[in-house]
Amino acid sequence: MDFSSQEGDSEAPAVIDMTTSEKVVELLNQAALIPTDEKLNVLKQVQELIINKDPSLLDNFLDEIIAFQTDKSIEVKKFVIGFIEEACKRDNELLLRLIANLNMLLKDESVNVVKKAILTLTQLYKVTLQWLVRSKAVSEMQEACWDLVTQMKGDVLALLDSENDGVRTHAIKFTESLIITLSPRTADSDVPKRQEGDISLDKVPTDHSYIHYDELCQEGKTALEKLLKFMVHPAISSINLTTALGSLATIARQRPMFMSEVVQAYETLHANLPPTLAKSQVSSVRKNLKLHLVAVLKHPCSLEFHGQICTLLLDLGMPQSEITRSTPAPREQRKRPRQEQYTEGKKVKIESSSTLIEDDEDKEEPAPLSVPKPAAVPVAQSAIDLTAEFLHPLLTPENVANLVLISMVYLPDIMPASFQATYTPVESAGTDAQIKHLARLMATQMTAAGIGPGLEQCKARGEGAVKEENDDDAATKDLLIKRKVPAMMVGQAISVVGGYAEKASPEVPAAAVKRLPEPILPSAQTKMTGATGRKKVFRLPDIVQQLSDSQIENLTSKAVKRILHSEKPIAQSGMSHVRVKLLSRLVTQFDGMMKSDVLEFILDDIRTRSDLAFSLLYQEYNTYLSQLPSGLLDSYDHCLYTLLSGLQEKPEQRDGLFTKLVLEAPIITESALEVIRRYCEDESRVYLGMTTLKELIVKRPSRQFQYLHVLLDLSSHEKEKVRTTALAFLKRMYEKDQLRDYIEKFALNYLQLLVHPNPPSLLFGADKDTEVAAPWTEETVRQCLFLYLSLLPLNHRLVHELASVYTEAIADIKRSVLRAIEQPIRGMGMNSPELLLLVENCPKGAETLVTRCLHILTDKVPPSPELVERVRDLYHKRVPDVRFLIPVINGLEKNEVIQALPKLIKLNPIVVKEVFNRLLGTQHSEGSSSVSPLTPGDLLIALHNIDSTKCDMKSIIKATNLCFGEKNVYTSEVLAVVMQQLMEQNPLPMLLMRTVIQSLTMYPRLGGFVMNILSRLIVKQVWKYPKVWEGFVKCCQRTKPQSFSVLLQLPPAQLTSVFERCPEMRAPLLQHVHSFTPHQQAHIPGSIMAVLEANKKPEPKPAEPVVETEMEAAPAPSVVEETPKEPETIVEPEPVTQKDEEEPMEQEESEPAIQEETLNISQVESEVETPVPEPEPAEEPMEESQPEPSEQPEPEKDTEADVATKEAENTSEDVE
Amino acid sequence: MPSHPLRVAVVCSSNQNRSMEAHNILSKRGFDVRSFGTGSHVKLPGPAPDKPNVYDFKTTYEQMYNDLVRKDKELYTQNGILHMLDRNKRIKSKPERFQNCKDKFDLVITCEERVYDQVVEDLNSREQETLQPVHVINVDIQDNHEEATDHICELFEEACACTGGIQHTDDMENEIDELLQEFEDKSNRPFLHTVCFY
Repeated sequence: MDFSSQEGDSEAPAVIDMTTSEKVVELLNQAALIPTDEKLNVLKQVQELIINKDPSLLDNFLDEIIAFQTDKSIEVKKFVIGFIEEACKRDNELLLRLIANLNMLLKDESVNVVKKAILTLTQLYKVTLQWLVRSKAVSEMQEACWDLVTQMKGDVLALLDSENDGVRTHAIKFTESLIITLSPRTADSDVPKRQEGDISLDKVPTDHSYIHYDELCQEGKTALEKLLKFMVHPAISSINLTTALGSLATIARQRPMFMSEVVQAYETLHANLPPTLAKSQVSSVRKNLKLHLVAVLKHPCSLEFHGQICTLLLDLGMPQSEITRSTPAPREQRKRPRQEQYTEGKKVKIESSSTLIEDDEDKEEPAPLSVPKPAAVPVAQSAIDLTAEFLHPLLTPENVANLVLISMVYLPDIMPASFQATYTPVESAGTDAQIKHLARLMATQMTAAGIGPGLEQCKARGEGAVKEENDDDAATKDLLIKRKVPAMMVGQAISVVGGYAEKASPEVPAAAVKRLPEPILPSAQTKMTGATGRKKVFRLPDIVQQLSDSQIENLTSKAVKRILHSEKPIAQSGMSHVRVKLLSRLVTQFDGMMKSDVLEFILDDIRTRSDLAFSLLYQEYNTYLSQLPSGLLDSYDHCLYTLLSGLQEKPEQRDGLFTKLVLEAPIITESALEVIRRYCEDESRVYLGMTTLKELIVKRPSRQFQYLHVLLDLSSHEKEKVRTTALAFLKRMYEKDQLRDYIEKFALNYLQLLVHPNPPSLLFGADKDTEVAAPWTEETVRQCLFLYLSLLPLNHRLVHELASVYTEAIADIKRSVLRAIEQPIRGMGMNSPELLLLVENCPKGAETLVTRCLHILTDKVPPSPELVERVRDLYHKRVPDVRFLIPVINGLEKNEVIQALPKLIKLNPIVVKEVFNRLLGTQHSEGSSSVSPLTPGDLLIALHNIDSTKCDMKSIIKATNLCFGEKNVYTSEVLAVVMQQLMEQNPLPMLLMRTVIQSLTMYPRLGGFVMNILSRLIVKQVWKYPKVWEGFVKCCQRTKPQSFSVLLQLPPAQLTSVFERCPEMRAPLLQHVHSFTPHQQAHIPGSIMAVLEANKKPEPKPAEPVVETEMEAAPAPSVVEETPKEPETIVEPEPVTQKDEEEPMEQEESEPAIQEETLNISQVESEVETPVPEPEPAEEPMEESQPEPSEQPEPEKDTEADVATKEAENTSEDVE
Repeated sequence: MPSHPLRVAVVCSSNQNRSMEAHNILSKRGFDVRSFGTGSHVKLPGPAPDKPNVYDFKTTYEQMYNDLVRKDKELYTQNGILHMLDRNKRIKSKPERFQNCKDKFDLVITCEERVYDQVVEDLNSREQETLQPVHVINVDIQDNHEEATDHICELFEEACACTGGIQHTDDMENEIDELLQEFEDKSNRPFLHTVCFY
């Protein structure tokens, strides 16, 4: 037949089919051996392939698939049924071969298979009919096929009596479909969209060779009868009933010609609900009935039955308003459409219907199709109608009452569920409508019971019709029978229907036995899956020559390249994702050049190709996972590394692709981490890099320490920007508990490195080739400190670690440390308990560190009482180094400062200067709001009162000079007060006159005040203090002639002494006296005048011994003894901090300075020692250096030097 | 050899409380189950009986949850609505409307008569195609929290036993009537039951 040619066609383009066909064979072979679940899956694939993908293969593999119908599994059998349906729909010709198989399955022992077969037959029946009706060519096989289908149809109808509820349900649906197919579609038929193309009786030609229109028509009616009969079965299950109700509604809507039967069936049912139904089932069924009635009501043709339907609906409890809503607007011209409907159908039938109408009218029984008037009166006057009419006038109140009383006897003991469910109180009792309703109810019952006048009339009419039937054409008879059915359901009609059916059925088998199509037998399976099955298939490997490896590689790589470079065209077609997927799959599967090609391609324009990059990366990872546990990450690593490096090396990179890649990569490998590190080291991207790193640390806890370590490493990076950024990030992370320890440990480890004599090699990057023995440098030291110092303000406790490292470190490191700590210590503040603790404990060797800290703390802010307290404690109890006190000096008590002064002023001049600045509030920086415990005056007085045994005079002088240097502080008033106070002391301070002279030099207007002082000194017998006396004389000398009057107050011996020292004074003084008035001259004692006028010294000698003896008493303890002692106390810390160029550290340098000073002093002393034998030359400089008053600075120096020298002279003299 | 697993749908009006509880229980028992609502909107109790919270079926449980948290966290925590939404969003993302679902089922369980009517009406209004039957069963469950939480479990335990019986029989249709009757007697609740066809 045609198959062969088809087969030929399909083999011609074999190259294309090959894969599909081969695949099908493979799948079928598989399917034979695997368990059901998979088998179904495989078979479904096959079905898809040969029905939808390549229908040309359908024929080839038909037998193989059908062979599965003998499978044990129900599901597989069901699949085969489904396949038969699909295959036959696809290619109607196949019906010839497959229908027999369906027939076999229809008789399967499993109900589920049977049900499925019924469903399929429902579809295929229509398909077959349509196909056969169309194909004009008469073939035996087709006829045989039709015969078999007809037989199967009968079988399914018979299944309405099946024992299985579900099978019956399916049979009902089949019947429904059959009725619709085997009746004409008319203009007022509701046609569901899907079934528009379906065949119906009106499309069947009357002249077909073996499909007979009339027979079909009759079959349809028989089916309806069967259905109606089925429905009134008293033991019908609720589901079957429900199904049947639905089917009837469908039939009524799609074939309105049957509406009358349907409505009557509904009526009957409503009045006679099967007694077997449970209560809930009754409500379910009533609900259904209501639903379907409404559906029918909505159909325009229901108008004639409006009354019945409405009554039913009201009985079912539906409000009138709702009923009205569901009622369609009445159509004016109902007749014409009906006529049209028939013109639309077969021409043959127009005549027949018209005759029918006439016939009906003749009999005064308005046929449903011909009644012209609206449906006020029931149109199809059935037995029920007739009986109801008969009963109506009989239902007088009296009769009804009697009926009720009589029937009381027959009431059951228990109220039936159906009654309970349906009972509604009669609202309109006694009205005509109600009586009519009652009549109808009774008529229904009577008809059902087979009694009543209506039934008899109908019977008579039926007989007449049957007679007519022989003469009339088929259509007329059908209509009549159809109309009769409801009335005959109980039995009478059965003979007619049954007889008809019996007549038809023997015919069919008779023909069928010979010619029915043969089912494809399962034996085929073994045949097909065997050698022949394979042979049929075109197998690629058999005919194709193997390519060489290099050829294969070449071809694959070219193929991949083509895909790779077809980026744009594919993107335009919107299939980019497929390409990406394809590429990533391909590339990960094969090794070789492809990978690097693709990676290179990606890197050429990574921004637009990032999806490919990600896909590739994931695919690599996936491959790795699938090979676990033996899988290697190499390939993934290479991919990630290449991508990241590519991104890292690209100069411009604004978007966060790098970050994205890092964060979305499933694993960060070592080498990838290295790239991230490099990225972070790039100053222009350091922030982005570290943000990424931070994200890694936060979001991938399993390896966070690994990532953290990179960041920690970067915290001592040589590039400042990298370093500071890293430190900023670390500081933030340090606040997280889980990272804290690690960071801290790292910082302390680095800090600990400082105790090594040489910097460990790890401080130099791997790339730097530095010898291990290199010395520490500022840089290397700082490297170890960066992280630590930035953590310090966050965790003050760490400060103790620094102290302990500090004590062990070498001097160079110490210096670096001291320089580096300023910021963090300032950050900690002087209230930090840990810092206070450090001050309190001050580990041995860390004194300089502590002092530095103190300085940093008090640099800008006055010391807090706590700090002062700690320092005081430290100073008094543990390390009596006065330098500790300097930073907190303003926090000390006045007497404490005075006590410390001798030690303080012996320090390096710069330090002393600082101390004074602090005390005088003349610190360079502003904000020293602290109130000094000493006023400037107090300070100067204190200096004068320093016990010369505790401090050498030179230092004191220097200290006072520092005071005089602060002209803003030491104003004339302050000095006046100081002088006043000093002068009142007893004994007079040694430096009194020096201060007086200096004050006078600074503020000449103090002259009068000084004269006053001088006069009072005379009263205090100033000559008893040789030092002061010396200064007194000098002062007088300087202030002549003002001082003349003072000189004149001196006793003669002292005046002589003055002249001995300054012989040049005598003449001017004498002259001055001579200028007096005689009266004034008279006041001058003779002895004085004698001294003035004497050319010869009277007795200069006796004065001096006195001076000497007095001097002996005061400065008795030798200065020489004292001086060497002092360095000892402070020497200790000295070696630690020796030379510091950049930031001069006062206390450090003070040591050498003090030494120098002491040296100087001893030098001075030794120098002085030599001139001692001749006191005269020593005096000479004093006179020589007598300066002009105009030159201020020099005289100061000179006086100072002189006084000092003189003093030194004296002391040394004393010593000897 | 059991046939393909029964495809079950549970339906209430808003696909929130009853159907979701049933969905939860049935899916835990390995059923191929889905849940739906039939209302035109999803309604949840509001601050007053006449002020319900109304959403459309496109709103996810998550969005409803957040919306209610925003409106009055206290109230909706206290009346259990948030808890319910929380459970729901773990089951699926948003409510589904039965009428919009074209997938086929073997069994549809509804939670109240009104819903049952809507389901049956919808199924009947669809065009028949394959004629595959679908059974619709109504089990009345009050839509209040107490009933849903306290009794629903018990009720569905039994319903599951019943549907479980259905699931494990080869021929569900033949036995469903009997099983339902049995269950009806046991639970003392009427069931509506019908069959529709795809």
